[in-house]
Amino acid sequence: MNKAAPFFRTFDFPRRVIGLAIAAGITALMLMIFLAVSRADIPLSSSSLQPDIPHLVRMSLIQAALTTALSLGVGIALAWALNRLRFFGRQLVVSLFATAIVAPAIVVALGVIALWGRAGWINGLLSAFSLDWNGSIFGLHGILLAHTILNGAFAAHILLARLETIPARKLKTAQSLALSPLRRFMVLDWPAISSSLPPLGAIIFLLAFTSFPIVLILGGGPANQTLEVAIYSYVRLSFDLRAALNLALVQLVLCLLIVLPALLMTPSLADAGTSRHLHWPDNKNARILQWLILLLALVGFGLPLLAVLVNGLGPGLFGVLVQPRFWQAALTSLSIGTASAILTLALALGLATARNSFASPLARTALALPAFAYLVIPALVLSLGFFLAVRKLQIPPADAAPFVLILANALLALPFAISVLAPALTAIDRRYRRTARSLALGGFTRWRLVEWPLMGRAVGIALAFGFCFSLGDLGVIALFGTSEFSTLPWLMFRALGAYRTNDAAAIASVLLLLTLVAFWALPPLMKKLSHARS
Amino acid sequence: MLEAEQLTFAQPGQPLSYVYDLQVAPGEIVVVTGISGAGKSTLLDLIAGFLSPTAGALSLNGDDLLVLPPEKRPVSILFQQDNLFEHLSVAKNLALALPANDRQAKEKIANALDEVGLADYGPRRAHDISGGQKQRVALARTLLRQKPVLLLDEPFASLDDETAREMRALVRCLTDANQWHTLIVSHAKEDVRQLADRLYNLFEGRLNPEVL
Repeated sequence: MNKAAPFFRTFDFPRRVIGLAIAAGITALMLMIFLAVSRADIPLSSSSLQPDIPHLVRMSLIQAALTTALSLGVGIALAWALNRLRFFGRQLVVSLFATAIVAPAIVVALGVIALWGRAGWINGLLSAFSLDWNGSIFGLHGILLAHTILNGAFAAHILLARLETIPARKLKTAQSLALSPLRRFMVLDWPAISSSLPPLGAIIFLLAFTSFPIVLILGGGPANQTLEVAIYSYVRLSFDLRAALNLALVQLVLCLLIVLPALLMTPSLADAGTSRHLHWPDNKNARILQWLILLLALVGFGLPLLAVLVNGLGPGLFGVLVQPRFWQAALTSLSIGTASAILTLALALGLATARNSFASPLARTALALPAFAYLVIPALVLSLGFFLAVRKLQIPPADAAPFVLILANALLALPFAISVLAPALTAIDRRYRRTARSLALGGFTRWRLVEWPLMGRAVGIALAFGFCFSLGDLGVIALFGTSEFSTLPWLMFRALGAYRTNDAAAIASVLLLLTLVAFWALPPLMKKLSHARS
Repeated sequence: MLEAEQLTFAQPGQPLSYVYDLQVAPGEIVVVTGISGAGKSTLLDLIAGFLSPTAGALSLNGDDLLVLPPEKRPVSILFQQDNLFEHLSVAKNLALALPANDRQAKEKIANALDEVGLADYGPRRAHDISGGQKQRVALARTLLRQKPVLLLDEPFASLDDETAREMRALVRCLTDANQWHTLIVSHAKEDVRQLADRLYNLFEGRLNPEVL
């Protein structure tokens, strides 16, 4: 039906126009950024130290590859354990791991230091037993630890959702066949998760490849520097835009090469653990292993965050709360976060609803591609592009900063928001499209009466992504932040740089609390609102 | 004899409770009909152990089945679909019914496939065979498992008339040959006409015997 209908006379014409306009707008913006980066009129490099590009590329690839392998391993083991175990507070634990995707990387980095640093909890515990750990958390292993904490939990969240979609009939068949835990994993679990591993691995690889705050804070010096951090160093520390530009181009090409194969396979981030299904526990030995994995994961993921909260909510908090610049930064962060969240939702809905209205795979792909622009153009390169563009347009960076931050952060959250909204919209479309069409429910009316009441929670998750990504951003603000224009992560980073660790810990705890509240409160709030209106 | 006595299932907050009284003799096929939501699948889930009853008894030849977890019950269950793991070959699907170290697995699988008329199908992927063939493979697997109770949940609903007729004949033949206690829940009148030795209608949570 859809294929045969002329474009201008179709039922979904307004949705198509809006979606195509958004896609065209994002594409134009990305081209502008690309041109700003590739054709920037910048004098030859001024700094004496030229970037060692092969080393930076090698380092970026090595840490991203190791992060991916470790995170997938942790994710599979944790998802397996969570799928099998039932205990009081399980849903809370699942929600805790789900926050990995939005936990600000700068906060996690600080949590790792608070736990494993020289003055950290672990060393404190060891010295109580007259033991001493002389190692340092700074270096490749620190980067890998922080990345694995974040991405392992993220992977577990996605894979758990896959395991929980195994049909109950298959579980019943397997249980009545009395399959051993190993056979059950190979026959039921592996087929359910294996198709998600390549795209999930690609996403984790890209997240690690373009990771900025963790490498910056835990890298421990030039030996472990990656492209992203080097770009920052050349812009902010050496003021060498030409060198930064060359690195940005290398970064762009590499990201493009990595992202293309995985572009259309982004795993759905729909929330896990909501589907009711049969519970079939494994045997005792397997259960012991599952509890061990869960315990290790809770210690690995939960303790750094707990350390941030405990250290941050101490006496240092009051000292920060009385500073006007803290309140100014908090207001800026909240305003930009709210605006970014709304913009993310609007763009994601526009693209996802338009995508549903097309039957042609080409049209659907064309509408999906711009949403994944961020995966090709990482935050810092995006920020550099904006920086060069506003410079060329002779707009003072300070004036452009709020708008750039809102737009850039919305674009960063867009692929994640789409991967939540698109499956929900597709399911509703499949089920109600014919009925809606026969009742002539089009455009906004269909949204209000059919879609919104059924996807309040998905809307809440998309809003939470937009808000939390923006709240925790350090990549974009890194080039636009000044002492006058500051956000909470920027203020925290400056406090860390000035060795005001108490201030940094206090700001980190506020950031973490705001993120957790938004991530946990927005989805049920939106669900309630959507039901109240229906 | 498979016997359910006042086997009761009640969900918290729901006014209707299901109370099942039922007997299935060896070699007998009992068919349970009823409208959607009447509780037919609940009965099978209780017998297979996927649900726990709130009261009552369930036994096979006098042995209490309620103390056994699903994997230890002498029960095979077949659904309308999803009985096979589609990424595995037919032979590997059957092998799941045997211990991993069974040295005669190949021979047993070949015999079981032969018995359901799919002698050469072992190497084929479950995904690539038809709906009727999948049901035959699932029946072959129940043969390997040697469990005396066979539960069928709308097993022929997705098959065409001709295939469904062949499958019914196969179930009849295997039940007679193996002296299975076979219980079928179904909407289809053909299932009743072609298979039922005894018929129950499930209405308002109770099984009512019907005259054939």
